Amino acid sequence: MKALLIGEYRQGKLLDTTYELKAFADRLGADSVMLLVGSDAELPKCDSKVYLADAAKYGEYNPDLHKQLVLQAVEKENPDCIVFVHSSYGWDLAPRVAVALKAGQVSEIVALNEGAYEVNACNAKLRRTVTPKSGRCVLTIQAGAFSPTGEPQGAPQLERLDLSGTASAIEFVGYEAAEQKGVDLSKAEIIVSAGRGVGKKDNVPVIAALASALGGELGASRPVVDAGWVDHSHQVGTTGQTVSPKLYVACGISGAIQHLAGMKKADFIVAINKDKDAPIGEIADVLVVADVMQFVPAFTAKCAR
Amino acid sequence: MKILVCIKQVPDMESRFRPNGDKTWYDESDLAFRMNEYDEYAVEQAVQLKEQLGGEPEITVLSIGPERTVEAIKKALAMGGDRAVHIRDDRYYQKDPWQIASMIASYAKGESFDLIFTGMQSQDRGSAQVGVIVAELLGLSCATTLVGFSYDGGTVTVKRELEGGIKGVAKLKLPALVTCQLGLNTPRYPTLPNIMKAKKKEIAALTPAELSGEAELTATAAIYPPAKKGGGLVLEGEIGAQVDRLMGILKEKTAVLR
Amino acid sequence: MFLDLTEEQKLIQETARNFARSELEPLAAKLDREGDRPAFLANLKKLAELGFMGLNVQGEYGGSEAGVVAFSVAMTEIARACASTAVTVSVNNMVCEVIQTIGSQEQKEKYIPLICSGAYAAGSFALTETGAGSDPAGMTTTAVLDGDSWVLNGSKIFITSAPYAGVFVVWAVTDREAPKGKGISCFLVEQGTPGLVIGKQEEKTGQHASATNELVFDNCRIPKDALMGKLNDGFRIAVAELGGGRIGIGSLALGVGLAAMDYATRYSTERVQFGQKISSFQAIQWKIADSYTELEAARLLLMSAAFRKESGRPFAKEASMAKLFATEAANRACYNAVQMLGGYGYTADFPVERYARDVRITSIYEGTSEIQRVIIAREILKNFS
Ligand SMILES: Cc1cc2nc3c(=O)[nH]c(=O)nc-3n(C[C@H](O)[C@H](O)[C@H](O)COP(=O)(O)OP(=O)(O)OC[C@H]3O[C@@H](n4cnc5c(N)ncnc54)[C@H](O)[C@@H]3O)c2cc1C
Ligand SMILES: Cc1cc2nc3c(=O)[nH]c(=O)nc-3n(C[C@H](O)[C@H](O)[C@H](O)COP(=O)(O)OP(=O)(O)OC[C@H]3O[C@@H](n4cnc5c(N)ncnc54)[C@H](O)[C@@H]3O)c2cc1C
Ligand SMILES: Cc1cc2nc3c(=O)[nH]c(=O)nc-3n(C[C@H](O)[C@H](O)[C@H](O)COP(=O)(O)OP(=O)(O)OC[C@H]3O[C@@H](n4cnc5c(N)ncnc54)[C@H](O)[C@@H]3O)c2cc1C
Repeated sequence: MKALLIGEYRQGKLLDTTYELKAFADRLGADSVMLLVGSDAELPKCDSKVYLADAAKYGEYNPDLHKQLVLQAVEKENPDCIVFVHSSYGWDLAPRVAVALKAGQVSEIVALNEGAYEVNACNAKLRRTVTPKSGRCVLTIQAGAFSPTGEPQGAPQLERLDLSGTASAIEFVGYEAAEQKGVDLSKAEIIVSAGRGVGKKDNVPVIAALASALGGELGASRPVVDAGWVDHSHQVGTTGQTVSPKLYVACGISGAIQHLAGMKKADFIVAINKDKDAPIGEIADVLVVADVMQFVPAFTAKCAR
Repeated sequence: MKILVCIKQVPDMESRFRPNGDKTWYDESDLAFRMNEYDEYAVEQAVQLKEQLGGEPEITVLSIGPERTVEAIKKALAMGGDRAVHIRDDRYYQKDPWQIASMIASYAKGESFDLIFTGMQSQDRGSAQVGVIVAELLGLSCATTLVGFSYDGGTVTVKRELEGGIKGVAKLKLPALVTCQLGLNTPRYPTLPNIMKAKKKEIAALTPAELSGEAELTATAAIYPPAKKGGGLVLEGEIGAQVDRLMGILKEKTAVLR
Repeated sequence: MFLDLTEEQKLIQETARNFARSELEPLAAKLDREGDRPAFLANLKKLAELGFMGLNVQGEYGGSEAGVVAFSVAMTEIARACASTAVTVSVNNMVCEVIQTIGSQEQKEKYIPLICSGAYAAGSFALTETGAGSDPAGMTTTAVLDGDSWVLNGSKIFITSAPYAGVFVVWAVTDREAPKGKGISCFLVEQGTPGLVIGKQEEKTGQHASATNELVFDNCRIPKDALMGKLNDGFRIAVAELGGGRIGIGSLALGVGLAAMDYATRYSTERVQFGQKISSFQAIQWKIADSYTELEAARLLLMSAAFRKESGRPFAKEASMAKLFATEAANRACYNAVQMLGGYGYTADFPVERYARDVRITSIYEGTSEIQRVIIAREILKNFS
């Protein structure tokens, strides 16, 4: 079995998730080659073959051109599967490649189950095993689901890829930096986060009060930020900050993967949720089944004492 | 301008889910359904564009699903869609993203839409494929995960949400397809008069047989609840006792409380 | 037989529920305790813009043409979050419907759009007097024609929304010689009319955000064409319109009852006494079973009355039955909910205490439970004589 792994660059940097692709291929027991649209300045540490196309020429985000580059590598390598990280780059590009090859795509694989691909359904309340019915398939893996075992090492055997033209229907204008950080959660030792379950903006101070009673910072899930209850700088998750506090308290947060991705490295996780089956229970060290607005004030009072 | 918005009806995600009889999907019998959250942003963006262009564009809403799907379709019409296409398919859940997208593309092919809006993914299946596949099948330029959208003279400027809060800005020429992320806008509540007026809007019914007969490229082998990770402690019962126990645990297991 | 809501009714229910959860519920406890009239009125304005003030009103006057069943389910959803908002919406709908039923073309075109659009925060329905509550035909407020105007004298009591209503539907005696109930007419009086005095605001047990005031007419002069409907035919109209209002109040009560039971039932699965969740005690289970059964029966009675009204069939008896049963069932549900929370249910830290206060009035206004029974029995006995 052979896997073509599609790595990622962002703002000139090779993303760490690229190594997760390799870990996944190893778990599959597949030989792997890699394709990168990047630069010589940042090459992955590995011993396999790496096709390199120049990001200066093809852009970091240009799915039309990147698709053609992937197809060229497919032509050369004839892989059984083409693997992406399920990221803003991967989910954007993978289906384009799948259509061109008329290959089935399995999205956001979280585990391998006797060779079959496991994915989440219904906000991680269910799991599905999915089997490709096409000879060749396209796979995207959940970020963080397949961690590399050791430190990456080695030097790749490079082979350059080029296209004859660079005409594209999409023009990448540039990056917009994340909003100015009001708080830097990445260094916080204790974070108490508010989720949609807190119900309303007026309740946020109750969560913030617990944060300060514990001497920590206020975090938030995305819906709370989208609703304007809390500033974006407090958002934890894939599109917010990644944090690793000693204690993380999730108040009324269901535990969607995009949130977990930002906080699962916390040493100790407490979740307060009225739903005993909420997926946050999967990673919480303690799940308190209660109404946040009843539990949190009581707990804060206790902490203050 | 002709706009298409693709929507899906999904269960309320706070429901309790169990596998169905043949363990290929969830049991639908006791679930409440609503419009996929991502799709609400898609509908809203289409309607805002129509308003920006003085009402000129015609918005068609498309959905694939059983009879109950009509409720979601009517909501989209009440929010400002002009007409709808309902691809009536009771076995929609057995179709993979490729088959769903092929049906949509085969309908859209003859209609020459200038702009198609979809959600970035569905809340139940979460494949994030359908929109992009439709774009590829129709040869449209495409961008995913929009948190910003603006339109001016045939060009769409999108703001894509990337990891870590960074955004990527790109421009696409029409015809194009975009997939919408949460927070792109603030979806409106449909007003009551508009809900009632939507009754008179056309909902054309199509059957899968009239569209694409593509075979599946992936199949669900099984669906099941995730294995419970042991270890995590569940505290139930009375608030006072929960508070005391949590306090005890934190003192014992973490260094943060002295 | 088909007992499901239509898609439109379901969507209206969803809009009402989503709005209630995100805009009304977060404010309800504050409105109850400290009050915040600007915020209360701002939400009424938003509800008007969504079309909730004229559910059963024609589109040409700015109504939603959504029907009576939709009105009922919307009232229930709004009341689950905030009973004060719900009663205001219910009365506004009733006022729009009275004007639509008996108003002249000019009156309809002038006033209904002002209420439906939210330009007027509210309309008021002014029937009750200190000496005429259950027996409104005993009213003593008078209207006397003087040249080109009617002159009103007397007073009304317990008038919902009076301080912020744009217009009042007022009943007054126009023929003192006529037999009881045959000499009453109906008028439209605009807020700010000289001689119309908004009196003292009542301090009530519940529904605190909704103002309930006295109205005083002191030689209040209104134009001749402020008469609505036929002269001396007003009382029949009041009685007929209250039937529709009763569906609204029954639906409101249902919403409060459901909110209380939902809260208490969840609480019972968390509260531990004697080493077990109190939901494991049969005494608690029976409360849950009884209350939800009664509330479901109430819902079906309300749906049936609403459906009859919507289909143009007689509905007075059914509306009274639904109001009687729903408001009493909701009172029992709130009583049970407080009981299930024990001492906590009696404190302001938990919302069931507010529900129990808010629900109490529902079996009194728009006709007490006793009066509903009088009506129901009269309607039934008609068929036996
Ligand atoms: C590309 C992408 C990027 C994303 N990035 C992020 C990100 O960076 N960060 C992020 O957080 N999300 C992100 N999301 C969104 C993510 O998928 C979820 O939608 C989000 O995390 C859900 O937030 P929540 O848990 O607060 O809300 P919900 O999922 O609505 O959960 C609310 C929870 O509160 C509980 N609850 C309700 N009421 C109460 C109560 N009274 N007491 C106790 N519990 C209660 C409920 O049981 C439920 O479990 C992203 C999504 C996508 C597609
Ligand atoms: C918060 C609130 C808001 C209100 N809003 C409005 C409004 O907007 N517009 C309006 O016009 N009115 C309004 N009312 C008035 C309301 O409709 C009356 O209070 C109600 O009709 C009862 O009249 P009453 O208070 O005079 O009681 P009474 O008529 O004095 O009744 C006292 C008791 O005697 C019983 N009783 C009376 N007659 C009989 C009988 N024949 N047989 C058996 N029992 C009988 C009653 O059932 C009751 O138990 C409101 C009242 C309140 C408290
Ligand atoms: C205003 C006020 C004044 C008070 N004053 C005092 C005071 O001066 N001194 C003092 O000591 N206490 C006082 N109390 C406390 C009062 O006695 C308790 O609230 C009461 O005993 C009920 O206990 P609880 O509130 O914990 O309810 P819970 O015990 O939690 O009861 C909740 C519900 O479960 C039911 N339940 C519980 N166990 C069973 C069972 N085995 N079988 C069936 N049903 C069951 C209850 O009947 C109730 O319906 C006061 C409370 C209030 C609100």
